[in-house]
Amino acid sequence: MTRITFIEPQGAEVEIDIADGWTLMQAATSQGVEGIEAECGGSCACATCHCYIEGEPAAHLPTPTQTELEMLDNVVAARLPNSRLSCQIKMAPDLEGLIVRMPEAQS
Amino acid sequence: MFSFDPYSPAVDADPFPFYKRLRDDFPCYWSEEANIWVLTRYADIVTALNDWRTYSSAKGNLMTELPNRAGATLGTTDPPRHDRLRGLVQRAFLKRNLEGLAEPIRGIARDVAGDLKDSAQFDFIADFTSKFTVRVLFAALGLPLGDEAVVREKAVLMVQSDPRTRTKGPEHIAAYTWMQDYASKVIAERRANPQDDLISHFSLAEIDGDRLDEREVLLTTTTLIMAGIESLGGFMSMLTLNLADHADARRAVVADPARLPDAIEESLRYNTSGQRFRRCLTRDVDIHGKTMREGDFVCLAYGSGNRDDRQFANADVYDLARRPKGHLGFGGGVHACLGNAIARLALNIAMEEFHAVVPDYARVQEQLPWMPSSTFRSPLRLELARVTSATAR
Repeated sequence: MTRITFIEPQGAEVEIDIADGWTLMQAATSQGVEGIEAECGGSCACATCHCYIEGEPAAHLPTPTQTELEMLDNVVAARLPNSRLSCQIKMAPDLEGLIVRMPEAQS
Repeated sequence: MFSFDPYSPAVDADPFPFYKRLRDDFPCYWSEEANIWVLTRYADIVTALNDWRTYSSAKGNLMTELPNRAGATLGTTDPPRHDRLRGLVQRAFLKRNLEGLAEPIRGIARDVAGDLKDSAQFDFIADFTSKFTVRVLFAALGLPLGDEAVVREKAVLMVQSDPRTRTKGPEHIAAYTWMQDYASKVIAERRANPQDDLISHFSLAEIDGDRLDEREVLLTTTTLIMAGIESLGGFMSMLTLNLADHADARRAVVADPARLPDAIEESLRYNTSGQRFRRCLTRDVDIHGKTMREGDFVCLAYGSGNRDDRQFANADVYDLARRPKGHLGFGGGVHACLGNAIARLALNIAMEEFHAVVPDYARVQEQLPWMPSSTFRSPLRLELARVTSATAR
């Protein structure tokens, strides 16, 4: 289990523990974190699980695939250098302490 | 003694009591009859969906796989081959690229619903979903009109399985062969006269300079036709069954069609038509005190994960206000349903137009005839009676 902090669109901070191998999107939607729609179910085919990644452990994240980068062109909120799709980030111990900020809107 | 046989007609009719017993007492269950492990808890299914290296799709994903199909379709390949195949077809199914289909879909829905305006009683499947889904698919894929009724009949037949032999029967295989021949003719025609449509692009596509092999083009096209007709139609009948059975939800969505998406999501959770898919293990897995061995098949029971109280409070209650997130109605992970956006779009429009013509209705049959299938679940007929102020009195 790895502890991650989500910051919901209204600013509330929610800490959840995520099992290795689960994605940020699945953990957030299954534990009731606000701010993710994830219409496509995690197949990197929509852009409604957009998030901003912050904190030092972000350096351990694998770089986004070409498909994720193309899909990020479709996000509704501002696309920033730290924009990612939360369905493409799988949990691993070296991500302990990662901060995931939700955008104002997903669609 | 408890047993779970995914080929049993009792499971076709009502799998949910079986699922509850499995989740509570046998969360990792070996089905002797079907020769497969069965995982039924939400968390275990999501874990498996994430771990495609362990839970491989390359030996087939249908509970009763069609011959020579594994390895040649999106659902039956693992990354990286899967990702490259998906990259070729995904563009056509993205929400932003479907906007142009909304008006044609609405036209089809109006036309088909219009035929019901004088009907006091009708079979929702024969008289609405069959006509609607086949015409939508033909419009989306640019298929030539003329064969709609046969294509639909074969699509529905090829997903079924024989409850006695626990395999595909000759009629199912014949339907599958027919569909491949049909797809093959469409592909040949598109190659000869390419148009700006999915099958033209796909049949001429190359991955990293390699043309797709013929089997991939043929079986992916065959699967798209099957899913577009059978899966969309099957789920539409489940959604309508739920609305027929839950008067408050029905009245709420008829009064305010903006709530239809809530009904669609709750029905995807409550009784998705894609009940069970399978994977094959590439290594031993220890779970809930059992060891599943490399090479064993594993059934992921999405329909059960969606009813798991560990994940969804009061999971057996149909609740329009639930707005469930993370449900398994379209599967999940890399193999989540390619058609989810077009399905949501088509369902929303179809139900709006259906409700405009038939704003209130009730179910006629007490017992429904269920499709014999180890993978999918939907009724073969759904008779509805129009409720009017006169009949309600």
